[in-house]
Amino acid sequence: MHTFSSGRGAPRAAFLAVLLACVTARAATLVIHVQTVDGHGLAGAVVTAYPLDGPPRHAAPLRAVMDQVNRAFEPDLLVIPVGSTIEFPNSDSVSHQIYSFSAAKRFQLPLYRGKPYPPVTFEQAGIVTLGCNIHDEMLAYVLVTEAPYFGRTDAGGAWSGEVTRGRYRVNIWHPRLRDAGTDLERELTVQESDRAELTLRLAKPLQPAPLTERPHSWDY
Amino acid sequence: MSAAAPADRSGSTRRRACLLLALLAGAAVPRAHATDWEASLDARLVNSDAERSFMDGGLGSVRFDRTDSTLQLGRARFALTQSFAEIWSAHLDASVWDDKDAHLLGATEAYLQLRPYPRAGYRLRVKAGAFYPPVSLENRASGWESPYTLSYSAINSWLATEVRTIGAEAQLEWLGTRLGHAFDLEVTGAVFGWNDQAGVVLANDGFLLHDRQTPVFGRVGQPNVPPLNGAKPFLELDGRAGAYAGLEARYLDRLVLRVLRYDNRADPTQIDSVAGVIAWDTRFTSAGARLETQGGWTFIAQGLDGDTLIAPHGFMIRWPFRAGFGLVSRRFGRHTLSARYDRFWVHVQGLDGDGTQSGHAWTAAYAFDAGAHWRVSLEWLQVTSDSYNRQELYGGPLAARETQVQLAVRYALGSALR
Repeated sequence: MHTFSSGRGAPRAAFLAVLLACVTARAATLVIHVQTVDGHGLAGAVVTAYPLDGPPRHAAPLRAVMDQVNRAFEPDLLVIPVGSTIEFPNSDSVSHQIYSFSAAKRFQLPLYRGKPYPPVTFEQAGIVTLGCNIHDEMLAYVLVTEAPYFGRTDAGGAWSGEVTRGRYRVNIWHPRLRDAGTDLERELTVQESDRAELTLRLAKPLQPAPLTERPHSWDY
Repeated sequence: MSAAAPADRSGSTRRRACLLLALLAGAAVPRAHATDWEASLDARLVNSDAERSFMDGGLGSVRFDRTDSTLQLGRARFALTQSFAEIWSAHLDASVWDDKDAHLLGATEAYLQLRPYPRAGYRLRVKAGAFYPPVSLENRASGWESPYTLSYSAINSWLATEVRTIGAEAQLEWLGTRLGHAFDLEVTGAVFGWNDQAGVVLANDGFLLHDRQTPVFGRVGQPNVPPLNGAKPFLELDGRAGAYAGLEARYLDRLVLRVLRYDNRADPTQIDSVAGVIAWDTRFTSAGARLETQGGWTFIAQGLDGDTLIAPHGFMIRWPFRAGFGLVSRRFGRHTLSARYDRFWVHVQGLDGDGTQSGHAWTAAYAFDAGAHWRVSLEWLQVTSDSYNRQELYGGPLAARETQVQLAVRYALGSALR
């Protein structure tokens, strides 16, 4: 059994630090609302929350799949932690030739059908734009993040996550965003309360959505 | 087996694993040299009151004339795309239209394409062989068909009749939409030969509205039927290469703008007395825009301005020509409704009036896509035109209004159609 005297300050400070850490480590709910320029909830926006206090933390790498169905990537957007892998099967009857010349990951999957290639590993954070060199209408995105907390907004434009308390940098991204990414970056501190909320409203309208229902044989 | 490496694994282990996987993959992957093919048969039920068809030596403005009001072959087509060595592909589009050409089966396009992967946002594409220059904004379906109407606009009917690139074309694209921008840009340049007769049908028959694409090295009209005696647009007479240059800008997948300047650079003084043909120096500028909306609407506007001239024995005759159209189309699921208005004229300088023509046309079409294999189309086309040649050479009327109604049923099979 230890007792602390005024002459033994270091152990006392350590004890307080542990006590404080226990308190701050208690999870809180972070809720991010993303709104379009006219105030409606924006579904499908990518939210990342990066802690500014303490040592860097990443989420565990994932193994994801991005299929190619009916001359489109399925899904056409994936958010993955750094170090994750994505498999790119082609379920179409026509061949595809996948490429990315994005700085975060340059790669090519030469002409194929089925599942001939091993998954691709994404080791660098950033936005990776994918295309098919045969079918230019095919377009998809991979957002590789270092943030331990990430996700996409629901139909109502909200994302929530259980986070530890502290300061965070919150970023928003969407494939059709016209706003500069830095304009949508916010810092906030998740404090004692169990719930912290932040609403981000775009300053510019989104670009129009890609056309659907266009016959695939129209390639001229 | 997955290449997913735990984040804490050492770099060298990861590299070794990746190398092993790459070797395994290299051994296991069939380096797919994909073959894509398509075959289709298009049968027509035709009702027409038009003057004698241009394929029979007449000056009718549409494909089928009043003697063709029966069951007709629209087109029997076979197309093959063979990929090899990853970024190369060979394309062949062969068709049977009718029994009026020199050969029953002809290739409308046949070319080799090099399509390297984009680098740093730029992509180069090179084509060599015989193919269409990038002019039309309506002939975007496979086989250079229009998904909107059976008969092409006056501009694109003329391209189908007389214009083809038999040479090499390079396109450099800036893929802005892959770099976070809202638009892409593309420049095109080509050199070609074997198109020194482009213009002869236009100066004689004027603008037509049809969907009969002259096969490469094929024939328009019939031999021994004056005045064209079966024109052959794809001839090289002067050993001088033609050229074109074009620009395309795209805003997302919504709007396409296209401009192209074409000059076959034929020497108009050249005469091949053995074959009995003259070189036609043909130049034109085409410009167009196509807008598509999420609601299923498509709007296309295209214009063409140019001239063709001959100068045998120093006697120059020049035919300036101009054409334009506006098209509106709306898709309702499997149904497509389209309407198009065409205007066109050909003038002459150096002669009294030979070859002058002017007119306009209305086209209304309905198409029903009954699954991947069947397409049923109904088209009404009315052309109102004045033609000097129709009156002077054939004893027909100067002014005519021709109406053609077609019901088409097309069945298609192919590697991508399942």
